Amino acid sequence: MLQLENVTVRFGGVTAVDNLTLSIGASEVTGLVGPNGAGKTTLFNAISGLVRPGAGRIVFNAVDVLNAPVYRRARLGLGRTFQVPQPLSRLTVRENLLVAQRFGTGSVNASRLDEILDFVGLTEKAGRDASSELALSELKALEVGKALATNPKLLLLDEVLAGLETTGKRRFMQMLKDMHAKFGVGILIIEHDIETISNLCKRVVVLNFGELIADGAPDEVFRDAEVIKSYTGAEHA
Amino acid sequence: MDARRISVVLAMVVMYIAVPLLLGSNLYVMSLLVASIAIGGVALAWALLGNLGGMVSFGHAAFFGVGSYVSALLTMKLGVPVFAAMLLGGVGAAVASIAMLPTLRLKGPYFALAILAYAQIFRILATEWKSVTGGSGGLSSIPRLPEIAGFDFGSKIGNYLVIVSIVLIFALIYQRIRASHYGTALRAMHDSEDATRVVGVNSTLLKAMMLFVSAFMTGVIGAFNAHYINFLEPDYGFSGLWSTLPIVAAIFGGYRTILGPVIGAVFVYLVDQLVFKSFIPSGHQIMLGALLAGMVLFSPTGLLPWIVEKFKRSRNAPA
Ligand SMILES: Nc1ncnc2c1ncn2[C@@H]1O[C@H](COP(=O)(O)OP(=O)(O)OP(=O)(O)O)[C@@H](O)[C@H]1O
Ligand SMILES: [Mg+2]
Repeated sequence: MLQLENVTVRFGGVTAVDNLTLSIGASEVTGLVGPNGAGKTTLFNAISGLVRPGAGRIVFNAVDVLNAPVYRRARLGLGRTFQVPQPLSRLTVRENLLVAQRFGTGSVNASRLDEILDFVGLTEKAGRDASSELALSELKALEVGKALATNPKLLLLDEVLAGLETTGKRRFMQMLKDMHAKFGVGILIIEHDIETISNLCKRVVVLNFGELIADGAPDEVFRDAEVIKSYTGAEHA
Repeated sequence: MDARRISVVLAMVVMYIAVPLLLGSNLYVMSLLVASIAIGGVALAWALLGNLGGMVSFGHAAFFGVGSYVSALLTMKLGVPVFAAMLLGGVGAAVASIAMLPTLRLKGPYFALAILAYAQIFRILATEWKSVTGGSGGLSSIPRLPEIAGFDFGSKIGNYLVIVSIVLIFALIYQRIRASHYGTALRAMHDSEDATRVVGVNSTLLKAMMLFVSAFMTGVIGAFNAHYINFLEPDYGFSGLWSTLPIVAAIFGGYRTILGPVIGAVFVYLVDQLVFKSFIPSGHQIMLGALLAGMVLFSPTGLLPWIVEKFKRSRNAPA
């Protein structure tokens, strides 16, 4: 569904994504891990169009989207969340989803909107101001809700579980699993916690200094010496 | 009937019946009203661009001038009927705003400076393109508003009714855009542009549309003004006052509201012409700065929100 070929993103002297080639199949749940600064978020930005790669190709469902504007990629079915939640400010929770649905899919479907609100557990907060009246877990749920409202085929989740306490995290993980089943959406999820990744994903890819250093089943990948070194190395740095 | 409806009906009665009946014979007062409402229309268009498009413009004089020249020239050189030419004047201003699209990439003060410079380009064009615009000598004998079905739109009352109706229609358009899904997306865009784009909003196009709408409205009012005063020269049509007076009026009246800018324009213009001008015949506009500063200190959100607040409080207050 998504093919990246030799994608490179540089910021001045920093090569955030380095000649990366990767293919994500339809309705898979894939983990994306790597130490801080490995280029994970930058890769999401390149896929969703917020940064332009200096080189490479990005093909989504047989459409070359490398030069497509951000909004068109969203309409093609690329949804994403932000590592630091970015609610649409000055709008209510429901209006957040409404804008996403109206512009992401081209039309409004109120019952589906309510279904998504319910699914992410925000029905009771629907009338609240999205930028000032939500707790972190609700902001994270709103990130997912907004993205779902665009009716995505592939959802890029950037550390949606980070910062949640244990029960909240467990509930959220169940939600992600259900989402995959219920909405038939493919997921690429950035997450630091190895256990979480092993639980959610059949496949995990590892980035280090912008390079892909491992790709495979979680239990194999997390046994890989290079992967362990990149993690512990980064922690000691 | 709720208070809102009542006030709308009252305002309509005042504007369409009471004012013409009571003041219609006073040519001086009518001319002040027409001028102030015209400025109010530009102020409304300016506020629309600010509120919905998120852009602060110091260049609305360009749209005003382009609208007035396009309409005047179409009627004079090609014999286009005046009302049709006024609409085309608005279209002309919207087309002129296309040249400004690159400035949308600029943020804050850079955008403001770019649009300021842009307004000057059109003034220079009107001055130098003598064969068409008559150069700095200007255009005179611009056709007045026509007589249709026995009613003379070119009379003082006719002019008044036309500008009131234009501004009301613009207010309705503004209200409809604001209440639409586009309005919701635009509201979200200012603080979270990336977040709106990743859910499928073409933010650049939406902003450009608001620029077109605002330019169109301003151009129509510039065109009206040309046919109202029947005379045009570059320094007048593109005068910086068409940029600054609406800003003062909008902020004074309450730029976050739809009608605040219009009410602000009428108030500010009347005070300026009736009070300040009699004390300081030349340079009286400087007092507008003081007036504005006073209002911002008194009620930062402007006159209209203050009135609404007062009104609500007096209704809710225990007897
Ligand atoms: N807009 C930018 N301008 C300059 N440098 C940037 C920019 N965005 C990211 N970088 C740099 O690119 C590298 C990769 O950053 P990125 O945010 O993609 O890492 P990450 O893997 O998401 O890290 P984390 O786990 O901390 O979120 C870092 O060195 C970062 O400083
Ligand atoms: Mg990151």
